Amino acid sequence: MTSSWEHTLLGPVTALGERVFAILPNVLAMLILLLVGLGAAWGMGHLMERLLRVIGLDRLCDRIGIAAALLRGGIKADPSYIIGRITYWLIVIFATTASLGALDVAPINEAAHSLLSYIPHLVTAAVIGIIGYLVSNFVSQAVLIAAVNAGLPPARWIAAGTRWGIQLLTVAMAFEQLGIAQHIVVVGFGITWGGLVLAAALALGLGGKDLAKDFLERRLAGHSRSQINEDLRHL
Amino acid sequence: MNNSLIPLTAETEDLLEAVRSADILVGIPSFNNARTVGHVVRAVGAGLAKYFHGHRAVLVNSDGGSTDDTPAIVANTMVDLDPLFISDRQSTLHRIVTPYHGIPGKGSAFRTIFEIARRLKVKACAVVDSDVRSITPEWMELLLHPILKEGYDYVAPYYRRHKYDGTITNSIAYPLTRALYGQEVRQPIGGDFGFTGELAQHYLEKHVWESDVARFGIDIWMTTEAITSGAKVCQSFLGAKIHDPKDPAADLSSMLRQVVGALFALMEAHAPTWIPVTDSRKVPLFGFQYEVGVEPVNVNVERMVELFQLGLTDLHDIWARMLSKDALDQLSSLRNVPLRDFRIPDSLWAQIIYDAALAHHRNVLPQEHLLKALTPLYLGKTASFVLDSQGLTTAEAEQLIETLCRTFEKQKEYLVARWPQSHDSREVIEPARAKSERSEP
Repeated sequence: MTSSWEHTLLGPVTALGERVFAILPNVLAMLILLLVGLGAAWGMGHLMERLLRVIGLDRLCDRIGIAAALLRGGIKADPSYIIGRITYWLIVIFATTASLGALDVAPINEAAHSLLSYIPHLVTAAVIGIIGYLVSNFVSQAVLIAAVNAGLPPARWIAAGTRWGIQLLTVAMAFEQLGIAQHIVVVGFGITWGGLVLAAALALGLGGKDLAKDFLERRLAGHSRSQINEDLRHL
Repeated sequence: MNNSLIPLTAETEDLLEAVRSADILVGIPSFNNARTVGHVVRAVGAGLAKYFHGHRAVLVNSDGGSTDDTPAIVANTMVDLDPLFISDRQSTLHRIVTPYHGIPGKGSAFRTIFEIARRLKVKACAVVDSDVRSITPEWMELLLHPILKEGYDYVAPYYRRHKYDGTITNSIAYPLTRALYGQEVRQPIGGDFGFTGELAQHYLEKHVWESDVARFGIDIWMTTEAITSGAKVCQSFLGAKIHDPKDPAADLSSMLRQVVGALFALMEAHAPTWIPVTDSRKVPLFGFQYEVGVEPVNVNVERMVELFQLGLTDLHDIWARMLSKDALDQLSSLRNVPLRDFRIPDSLWAQIIYDAALAHHRNVLPQEHLLKALTPLYLGKTASFVLDSQGLTTAEAEQLIETLCRTFEKQKEYLVARWPQSHDSREVIEPARAKSERSEP
């Protein structure tokens, strides 16, 4: 009777204990890997930042206009700091994945493997996002200046439309790269963009036909009604 | 052996082989100027026959692919010397009509002219615009005589123009060039110049032909390079400058970008030259000066102020990055000011141009954006000038430009104090500034 109770009650506890003891080295290995990884990420991130500062990357970026381009895109951090942070996060991701692999649990291994194979898509999407953001700022600024110089009162609206259009395209491309609702994103983008173009065409056709006429006159005949009485020679 | 620095067509090479060398070269850049180029060729031909009949002369037309008959007109226009009492029939005027290569623009056309001048080892060159309707044979003497007989290296034009003609020259190119380099060249972007063969070669050797210099920036570049290279500069009075309206497709902001872009790029290249300069001096002026009737110019001031106000509203953030806070505050005070009270004072304008030059130097904005964002400011200043000079004669309006130039000179200290200088350039500049200040009376 006693042995039956021992077998019934203590058996699972013993088995659990054995399983825990069996997995404990793996958990310890995971924790060690994670801690070492985080330490390495912190150290490598700072080392990379220091190294790049020492070799004068920021000065070089200043000289060739990259720092100014980042500033124009609203990014105020130094290129050395940005690369240091990227290094830190890449090592953190690798360390986390490796530490999860140390558990040697099949579902976690699969998840870690999936995470690793997803990283290139993540990096590509991030690059698309950054480039899209910088391009949208640059182009909208150019459009704003051109619209003001052409004397178009809704210059800010035109520039904002350009910025949002490019950023929408960027988000669609980034989502497609990440494999998130690919068809919905493409169809959604197509509908939105098509709608914007149609709305702009209708707005110009109905509300701005004089503006369109003026624009065509200026392009084709070289003058506009607003400038018709002016023959100022600037040079 | 073909020793061309830039490619020339086979026909041009053959003509150069036949001509071999010349004393004088007159260059005419052109693009669809069939209406006016015949008159320019006749004036050049008559001028060379009348004033330089003992010299071997070449007329070069550097064409940008005209679709009208411009090249054929240049090649076939005959100069009837009888009514001009010119008896010399010995001299032959060689004509070279050639397309140019490179970025479409006046600068690229000039580059081909400089190359032909170099190949023919000419002593003196002149370039004249192909759309000038007021050119006379005397222009040849006025542009070439100082080079051949007086020992000058560069002749800038001096015109009588309507007070509203050449507003980029009056409000930016002349005041800034004068304040920077200390020489009072009244028409630094006039378009009709005389220069030595050596200076043509100097121009040719510069690597600027992919920049704004290849377009409208060529005129200010030639003048500034002449001054900074130490060339002996003078001016010649050419009378009126009446020309066809510029290409309508060439819009204002592009013209402004090219001229001001070239000015700012030259400031970067020649900082050690202009920083020590503290005052300006007169440049010798040749020719008999007389009053001329100038064509009336219609100006739409309301439209200019409207564009300025639009810029003040929509470009405020961009201006905030390229102008000083003080300048921006002064501009903001002009918001919705009634037209009769609207003025951009000279001191504010000088500060705006110096701030823009500093922003260009520090690369705070893409250069194209920075230069084009100046357009509403320029229109505001032009409107101010028109309002200030209403009812004034051309001579009285000239006094306003003189006052603006003195303001640029007075405020140059502001620019110099903020212009970042490398240690090496400081070593050159500071003793030179001290010397310049000591020599002031």
